[in-house]
Amino acid sequence: MLQGINIHFCISDKPIIGEASVKLFPGQFTAIIGPNGAGKSTLFKLLSGDLTCSRGNILYNGRLIQKYKSQELAQIRAVMPQHTVLSFPFSAWEVVELGSLNAPREISQQDIQDVMERLQIWHLRDRKYSLLSGGEKQRVQLARVLIQIWKNQPFPRYLLLDEPISSMDVSLQHLVLAMLNDLKDRNIGVLAVLHDLGLVANYADQVIMMKAGSVAFQGNLSEVYNSKNLEKLFGYPIQVKNHETGMGVMVHSLPYHYINHTIKQAQ
Amino acid sequence: MKTLQSDIRTSKLRNQNAVMLMLLLILSVIVLLSASFGAFHIPVDAVIGIFKSQLGIDSHVFTDAQAQVLLNIRMPRILMAMLIGGGLGLAGAALQGLFRNPLVEPGLIGVSAGGAFFAVLFIVFGSSLIVMSPLFSLIGLPLFAFLGGLLVTMCVYKIASNSGKTDISVLILAGVAINALMGALIGLVLFYADDAALRNFTFWSLGDLGGSNWSKLGIGSLLIIPAIGMILKLYPELNAMALGENEAYHIGVNIQKVKYTLFLSSALIVGTAVSMSGTIGFVGLVVPHLIRLGFGADHRLVLPGSFLLGAILLSGADLLARNIVRPAELPIGIITALLGAPFFIYLILNFKKINY
Repeated sequence: MLQGINIHFCISDKPIIGEASVKLFPGQFTAIIGPNGAGKSTLFKLLSGDLTCSRGNILYNGRLIQKYKSQELAQIRAVMPQHTVLSFPFSAWEVVELGSLNAPREISQQDIQDVMERLQIWHLRDRKYSLLSGGEKQRVQLARVLIQIWKNQPFPRYLLLDEPISSMDVSLQHLVLAMLNDLKDRNIGVLAVLHDLGLVANYADQVIMMKAGSVAFQGNLSEVYNSKNLEKLFGYPIQVKNHETGMGVMVHSLPYHYINHTIKQAQ
Repeated sequence: MKTLQSDIRTSKLRNQNAVMLMLLLILSVIVLLSASFGAFHIPVDAVIGIFKSQLGIDSHVFTDAQAQVLLNIRMPRILMAMLIGGGLGLAGAALQGLFRNPLVEPGLIGVSAGGAFFAVLFIVFGSSLIVMSPLFSLIGLPLFAFLGGLLVTMCVYKIASNSGKTDISVLILAGVAINALMGALIGLVLFYADDAALRNFTFWSLGDLGGSNWSKLGIGSLLIIPAIGMILKLYPELNAMALGENEAYHIGVNIQKVKYTLFLSSALIVGTAVSMSGTIGFVGLVVPHLIRLGFGADHRLVLPGSFLLGAILLSGADLLARNIVRPAELPIGIITALLGAPFFIYLILNFKKINY
């Protein structure tokens, strides 16, 4: 289990994360959602080890994150940040292969090809990374972090993704989220910061709802992911309901001009 | 289809080996030409004869005078050019990888000037402070230059980097400031120098590769070769650093260790080079660039390739320096600057278009 216990983080005495405790289970897909400035990315960076908590502890499989060497940690968790800018002209294939840095012999070329084919970027393998589109870059980076944890291990592992699908079109978003769901069978816990509430409703098992630097709601989707909590979280009318075909859940937010109308009527 | 595609690694390795072989070939041709041409001409077959007789194979196509000139004067100089040129090329590649920026160069960011300042400190005050054993007077100069280079590298890094990202304009400006400061400090130290020290300084600052001899080469190799080895081993880490410091940490790179190894080894190379041959600019900038433009960004090739191409460039420049105004010599720094500065301007003009 990946745990954050009583995490507190501040920059020059201004608290960014006031107080947060989170749990991430292997074999589950956990989404972090919340309004802008809620501290989602900061929480993400604390969990990944990029930032160190001012107070509180992060534990990977029961062991403090500080106790791991960077190499050991790389075997347990892979991280995909929001943006990655390359400083030199590497090809897409070379970027993906970097994911095998820690275990170059265990990852075969076939593994890399499989991952790239599933993400539909195999045809881009010789292209310079910097010349790819935003969505293509995201898939290359995703392939890289998947390669890092591709081989099964006897201990639980975690995949941390900060807005991994923000530049992808809708069909690719579904493709990627379905692929991430497949990872759950390998005893991997997936954590993703996401913005699309509909996709969260249909793919996540757990949700961490952040607001103003602390966790507002947290738990199984069926327990906490409802209209009332979402409205409180975003301060905006949002409805969660089953789709009429019975296939999946719909999250609907009212267009702005209708809200003004209802408010006027209420007055 | 699948078997063809799964050959990427092997074919890449084969290409890299071919590039290395090609560079080695060019280097040996340059070495042969350098050995032959100069104020005192030695025909190529005589050069080969002398090499053969050194290996114990009897050969009588050369005179004693030719052997003397080649073995005592020209060879140490050629090897020194290779060592320093290769070292500067490699140090440039390492610093560019560390700063994550292709415009970084030891001279530009002030590392060479820092080395020069400390070298001058040693020349002027060294003799009065420390009892100079002959060995220490030989090794003290490069060691002091190394300390200066190290200090400046770390200063510039602290100034220009903000949570793992370096801002190139701040970096270049920091270089300008540090170069100015070091120049002023060198002037200040010279103000206090006595005549003997001034004479030493003059010889040192003029001293391009002309003063090379076997003992200087020995000291230089002792300091530079381990640093080269340390950098060459770091190619996977430097590849990972190209993604960003955080990303490299996520893949399992021990960032702090890699950083300090690169600080140390590049300062060791640049400091030693400055103390042995004065500041030679632009090799560290141009060489890694050419390798990347031609053969891609993988540091497994960029690092050793930069060493070989740097060796080619500087021994080639030295060949020109010794022959253009024969029997006089041009300072080698003039030639590298004449080649390097226009290339730098080209890089600035095309920086956006090169599309990293």
